[in-house]
Amino acid sequence: MDISFFSPPEITTFFHKNPQKNDPYLDMQSTNNQPQSSHTSTSISSDSGEPCGDGKWASRLLRECATAISDKDSTKIHHLLWMLNELASPYGDCDQKLASYFLQALFCKATESGQRCYKTLASVAEKSHSFDAARKLILKFQEVSPWTTFGHVASNGAILEALDGENKLHIVDISNTLCTQWPTLLEALATRNDETPHLKLTVVITASIVKPVMKEIAQRMEKFARLMGVPFEFNLISGLSHLGGLTKENLNIQDDEAIAINCIGALRRVQVEERTAVIQMFQSFQPRIVTVVEEEADFTSSKNDFVKCFEECLRFTTLYFEMLEESFPPTSNERLMLERECSRSIVRVLACDDEIGEGDSECRERGSQWTERLREAFSPVSYSDDVVDDVKALLKRYRTGWSLQPQQADHESGIYLAWKEEPVVWASAWKP
Amino acid sequence: MQPHEQWDSSYASPGFPGGGSNSIPCTKPMIDNRGINHLERNHRDFPQWVQQVTEQLVENQPETGLSESLQTSAENNIVPALLGELRPAKSARRNPIEGSGQQHQWFAELGDQITNFSNDAKGGGSMAKGSDDQSLNLMTLLLECAVAISVDNIAEAHRMLLELTQMATPYGPSCAERVVAYFAKAMASRVVNSWLGMCSPLISYKSIHGAFQVFNNIAPFVKFAHFTSNQSILEAFHRRDGVHIIDLDIMQGLQWPALFHILATRMEGPPHVRMTGMGTSMELLIETGKQLSNFAKRLGMSFEFHPIARKFGDVDVSMFQIRRGEAVAVHWLQHSLYDATGPDWKTMRLLQQLSPRVITLVEQEIAHAGSFLDRFVGSLHYYSTLFDSLGAYLQSDDPSRHRIEHGLLYREINNILAIGGPARSGEDKFRHWRSELPKNGFMQMPMSTNSMAQAQLILNMFPPSHGYSLVQGDGTLRIGWKDASLYSVSAWTSPASR
Repeated sequence: MDISFFSPPEITTFFHKNPQKNDPYLDMQSTNNQPQSSHTSTSISSDSGEPCGDGKWASRLLRECATAISDKDSTKIHHLLWMLNELASPYGDCDQKLASYFLQALFCKATESGQRCYKTLASVAEKSHSFDAARKLILKFQEVSPWTTFGHVASNGAILEALDGENKLHIVDISNTLCTQWPTLLEALATRNDETPHLKLTVVITASIVKPVMKEIAQRMEKFARLMGVPFEFNLISGLSHLGGLTKENLNIQDDEAIAINCIGALRRVQVEERTAVIQMFQSFQPRIVTVVEEEADFTSSKNDFVKCFEECLRFTTLYFEMLEESFPPTSNERLMLERECSRSIVRVLACDDEIGEGDSECRERGSQWTERLREAFSPVSYSDDVVDDVKALLKRYRTGWSLQPQQADHESGIYLAWKEEPVVWASAWKP
Repeated sequence: MQPHEQWDSSYASPGFPGGGSNSIPCTKPMIDNRGINHLERNHRDFPQWVQQVTEQLVENQPETGLSESLQTSAENNIVPALLGELRPAKSARRNPIEGSGQQHQWFAELGDQITNFSNDAKGGGSMAKGSDDQSLNLMTLLLECAVAISVDNIAEAHRMLLELTQMATPYGPSCAERVVAYFAKAMASRVVNSWLGMCSPLISYKSIHGAFQVFNNIAPFVKFAHFTSNQSILEAFHRRDGVHIIDLDIMQGLQWPALFHILATRMEGPPHVRMTGMGTSMELLIETGKQLSNFAKRLGMSFEFHPIARKFGDVDVSMFQIRRGEAVAVHWLQHSLYDATGPDWKTMRLLQQLSPRVITLVEQEIAHAGSFLDRFVGSLHYYSTLFDSLGAYLQSDDPSRHRIEHGLLYREINNILAIGGPARSGEDKFRHWRSELPKNGFMQMPMSTNSMAQAQLILNMFPPSHGYSLVQGDGTLRIGWKDASLYSVSAWTSPASR
C-alpha cells in the first residue's frame, strides 16, 4: 500500500474553496452570487434525514476519494475529504455513518497515523469493555440478528453429530463470542438419551478486548454446567500473541478425548502468511470435527491494490451497517458499539500497514478461499438435514431479510447466511 | 482517568500543523486576577458542575473538595457537583476579553490543572460511581481537548478525540455525555478541516428545516420568540395600512401565519402586507412564499411575497423597494446554524438605511465573538443547558429528541466550533446586537406586558413549565432553563422611521 500520497496543505490562512458548480456528485445549489467570501455556504438538495435507501451519496464520494488517492490527485482528494467531513456523522443515517468512519480511516492514512490511531482506539475500547456492557451487547445483538447465532447453531449441530457416542469430549473454542454458543450445546448433551458425557471446554481468545470479561464468563459457564448436570471443565487460554503458539500441551489435549475445534471469526485474525501453518497445526491435534465460521468478505487478495481493497471494505461495511440499522432500534447504544468496533477494523484494514503484528489482523477471506486452504488438511462435511432445518428454524425467529444459501458451486462447501440475498456469513464443517 | 500516554515526537508528522511539540505549558499555575474575573463573568450562569470543576482549578486545592460528600442533582442528569459545599456566590461582572495571548496562557494552565485534578480525583475517595464518573471523565477530557486545539496542538487534540469519540454516546440517559459526544464530533470535524485548510460549510437546508420544525413543536423556545416578536410587530403596525415585513432568514416561515391571522382580524381591518423573505436557497424561499400566499389568501388578506436568496448584509437597500408610507418591520431570529447575514457592519449599515419602524431581534445568549476557547466554554454551557431542558421531559430514546439534538443543535455546535470564528472568517462579529444597536442610533422599545403575557401562555403549553424561566429586564424578555438564560427578545426602532 502507498505510504503517503500527498503533502499536507499549507495552512497559513483559511480560504474558501468554491466547489465546482457542475459537481457530479451532488446536486448543489450555489446560494448566492457573491464573489469569494469567506463563508459562502453551499446547499445540497438531498435530504439527509432520509433512511439510507435514498441517494447513497456516501458510497459515491468514498469511491471517488479512493480512486483519487490511488491516482494521487491532491486537489480532488482535498475536495472530497472536505465534502465528506461536512456531511459525515456517526450518529446520523447510514450514509452519514459510512462517511464518518471511512473518513476517519482515510484521515489516519493521510496523516500517517494509522498505527497510533488504531492502538488508541483499541485500547480505549478495551478499557471501557466491562463485563456487563459486553454481555449486554452480544446478547442484544443475538436477539435482533442471526449474525452470530447462525454460525453457532450450524456448528453445534455438526459437533454434536460428529461426537455422538463419545464420553470424553474436548471442544477447543477459538472465538470471541463470550461462550454464548455453549449453553444450547450443554443442554443438548444433558438431554441425550444415553449417559451424559464429560465436556472439557478450552476457550482460546484472540481479541484482547475480550480478556477482562472471561473470568466472569468462566464462572457462569461452570455454574450452568452444574445446573445441567453435565460434568464440565473449563480452561482459558488468553495470553497467546498468535494462534501458531497453540500446542497439544498448552491445550491439554489427552489421547482419550474426542476433539472438536470450533473457529468462529478466528482464522481471519491469523496473519495471512501463517494461515497454512495454523491449519496444519489443527490437523496435528487429530480432531473429529473442525467447525469454521467466517464473515464473507475478501480483504486479503486485494491487499496491494488500495482501490480494490477499499471497495470491498466499503461493500461489506455498507451491508453490515444497513443490517444493523434495520435490526436495532434507532437510538441503540448496542448498535453504536458494534459500529464503532467495525470502524476500528476499517482503520486497521485501510490505514495500517501489516506490521502491527500482535494478532488482531482483520484480513477476511471468503468461504471459497478458506475452503481452498482447509482442503489441504481436511475434507468437508455436509450439514445434515436436521442441522439445516435447525438453522432455518433459527432464521424464522428474526425479521425478514435473512435467508440460508447453500454452497454456491462445486469447489465450495458450507452454507451461507444471506442478508437481502447477499451472503454475509459462511459456516462450514471439516473432518480429517 | 488514565494518565495520557506520552506521544513521542515522531508522531508529530508533518501532516499536522503546529506539530512537533505536543506540550501544553507546564508552569505552575498562578492565581491570576484577570483569569478569575473571566471565570466570574459567567459564574452565575454555569451549570453547577462545570463551575465547580473550573473553580477547583483556579483555587488550586484539589484534595480538599474530594473528601466532602457529594450532592447529586436529582432533577436532571448532569454530573453532580464535585464539592459538597456550595461556594459563596461571586458577583457576576461582565468583563471584556483581555488580550488573547493572556487568555491562552491562562487556559493553558487550566488545561494542565485539569490533568492534575483528574489524576487526584482518581485517588480521592468518595467520587460518585458509575455513569457520573464516566461523564466527569469525558467532560474533563473534552476540556483538555479544547485547550489543545486552542494552542494549535492538533496532534494531541486528534488523539484525545479518538478516545472521546469511542466513549461518549449521544443516545444515553446522561445529558452531559450526549453533549460531549456532539462536541467531540464537532472538534473532530475541526481537526480535519484545519488540516485541509478548508472551512466553508456544506449544508443540507431541508434537513435543518425539518429538525427546526420538530424543535418548534417540542420545545417552547421558538414559539416564545415567534409570539413575543409578533406582538411587538403588531403593536408597531397599529393603524398602518401598508406594512412590509423583512425576515432575514425566513426558513419555512413558521412564524407568520399566527401574525397574519391577527392582522387579518384586527379591528381597523387588515393591512396590505408585503413580505420580503430572505434565506439560503431560492427554491426553498419560493416554496415558503407559496405557502404563506395561500394562507393569506384564505384569510382574505392582500399579500405580496418577495424572495431574496442573499445574505442580508450583502444586499443593497434598493432591492427591498420600500414604498412611501409603508411601515417596515425587520425581523431577525438569530441562530448558529450558519451565517445568515454576512458581515455585521454591513448588516448594521443596511438596517440604518432601512430605518425600520420596528426591528424585532431574537438572540441566543451565546457570544459569537472571541477566541476559540471563549466560544467553546460559552457554547458548552449553553448547549448543556439546552440538552438538560430536553432531557427533563423526553426519554433518552425519543426519536424527536434525537432529531433535534443531531439535526439542529449539533449543526449549531459544529458551526460554532468547526466552521465559525473570526480567525477563520476574517470577520468580526458583535458580541450582542442589543448592545450594538443603541450605539448606532436605534432606540429600544421595551417589550410590553402583552408580550410577557404571550410568553407565559406559551410556557404553559410546554411541560415541565416549572423548569423554564421567564425574565423581563432591560426592556427585553428572556427565556431560559433553570438559572441559565437561552434566548432573548428585544424590539428597536429607528428614530428616522415614520
